[in-house]
Amino acid sequence: MARVHLRYYALLREQAGRQSETVETAAGTPGDLYAELAARHGFRLSQTQLKVAVNASFSDWSSPLSDGDEVVFIPPVAGG
Amino acid sequence: MKAFEFTHDVIDPVALAATLADPAAGGFTAFEGWVRDHNEGRGVSRLEYEAFEELAQAEGERIVADALRRRGALRARCVHRLGALAVGEMAVWIGVAAAHRAEAFAACRQIIDEIKHRLPIWKKEHYADGDSGWVNCTNCAEAAIAPDFDYSRQVALPEIGEAGQHRLAQSSVMIIGAGGLGCAVLTGLAGAGVGKLFIVDDDVVDPANLHRQPLYNPNDVGRPKAEVAAARLASYNPTIRLLPIPVRLNAENAGELVAQADIVVDCSDNFATKFLVNDAAVLAGRPAVLASVYQYEGQLQVVRADARGSCLRCQWPEATRDGLVGNCAQSGVLGPVPAVLGSLQAMEVLKLLLDLPGQLRDEVLLVDLLDSGQRRISAPRARECQDRCTRVRPPAATTPEQELEVLLPLAEAAARGYRIIDIRNPDECALAPLPLGEHDAIPLPGLLDHAMALDPRLRYLLVCAHGIRSRAAAEHLRAVGRGNVWSLRGGLARQD
Repeated sequence: MARVHLRYYALLREQAGRQSETVETAAGTPGDLYAELAARHGFRLSQTQLKVAVNASFSDWSSPLSDGDEVVFIPPVAGG
Repeated sequence: MKAFEFTHDVIDPVALAATLADPAAGGFTAFEGWVRDHNEGRGVSRLEYEAFEELAQAEGERIVADALRRRGALRARCVHRLGALAVGEMAVWIGVAAAHRAEAFAACRQIIDEIKHRLPIWKKEHYADGDSGWVNCTNCAEAAIAPDFDYSRQVALPEIGEAGQHRLAQSSVMIIGAGGLGCAVLTGLAGAGVGKLFIVDDDVVDPANLHRQPLYNPNDVGRPKAEVAAARLASYNPTIRLLPIPVRLNAENAGELVAQADIVVDCSDNFATKFLVNDAAVLAGRPAVLASVYQYEGQLQVVRADARGSCLRCQWPEATRDGLVGNCAQSGVLGPVPAVLGSLQAMEVLKLLLDLPGQLRDEVLLVDLLDSGQRRISAPRARECQDRCTRVRPPAATTPEQELEVLLPLAEAAARGYRIIDIRNPDECALAPLPLGEHDAIPLPGLLDHAMALDPRLRYLLVCAHGIRSRAAAEHLRAVGRGNVWSLRGGLARQD
């Protein structure tokens, strides 16, 4: 189990009802973690519509997660 | 008697001069502007003048009052013709009475220069060869008399100085979108003295803009934003040039527009424009400063493809489609959010123009104004683009709407062999079930995740509430190789 820190922006913040949280997860990748969180919070964005950053760098959905990672899911926004 | 007015009738200089009689005046001078028979090498047969009258009226009176005050003249008056004028006719008349000739000449010169520079007046030139074209008169203003605009507080910064100020005056910036972000960017760059600002926006002022777009007021509602913003900023800083371009940025004009300025700033409110700006900047080798806001948050990215930096497509290879993210409802925004993000954009532009340290590049800045937090996410240039950008292609013609959308009663569409997919969220489906027995319900995110599961032998028709999400989804699916997908035009709302 890894303990990861999460930060939500835009639509995901609204749908999660929070800006951040820390979770214990068995997910080994950001992709698995997103699927787990989408089920829990009812996220309505597909993984294909998002980017993920791990420890302040854009990351692949399939790169391994480590204990203590900070994971940020970034939806595209367009308001001006 | 108004100090400044417009008229559609022939100007009578003798009657006008008589209204300026003053026993304290020792000198009187008048300037007359006439329609000449050529401009920039082309024969001109006649002219038409148009003005944004409410704005020009108040601004014109201010110009006359300023000239009297600064030059110490006694009385002045200006009349400008509008409508059709023939060669030789008088387009503008200015008269000034003063104690001495020097004040009269100086005030008269200041008034005509400022009118050319600041007033929202356009002329349509009809050429001898039968062609015609609109010319914004601010474009043909000659150097105006230096007004009272003092840059000493920024020249005092050791990194700027007189050399930096001169560099700003020689620079040009293209701002795409004159909304919440655009107002902040424009105000920041106009105040700093950037010599030439292009304002691209095809929209008009709406009452719902005002709370976050302080360049506009309720009297501007219905007016073109590019022109109102240009007029306001020209009166704010008369030492710079404002060039309103009231058109929508599209695949055809993006390259040409972006190449006209040193830097392009994206202040638009939609993905299609953001990707167009990114792509045009990459192709033209110009830096682009992009920002977007959402409720209490914003994102900022400086594209430096001109200097081997990353661009929007390094992270988002495939352009995001408007309507795919979120639902059809408008999400709210608080005024200071675009103001902060727009000010950050203006700052990045000034850093680039002045070569200041700490320039943002190869990063996305996330700003959350609820917790005042900022995060810089490293966003390097894509691996396959190390030598040459491989993801930006010259803009292609967009899919014609009629091929992407169909407008049919649902039952008839099903009878014609379309497989109907309701892409709405489960709660929307429960509230207003699809009025059709046989169909699939696959909410949009699921559909995007499983695009490859669509059977290439079938024809699919996507349905949502208003046809916005379904259109975006169909466009996206086609872009990823699913050519057998259509969108129900207007959605369920148009099925009655």
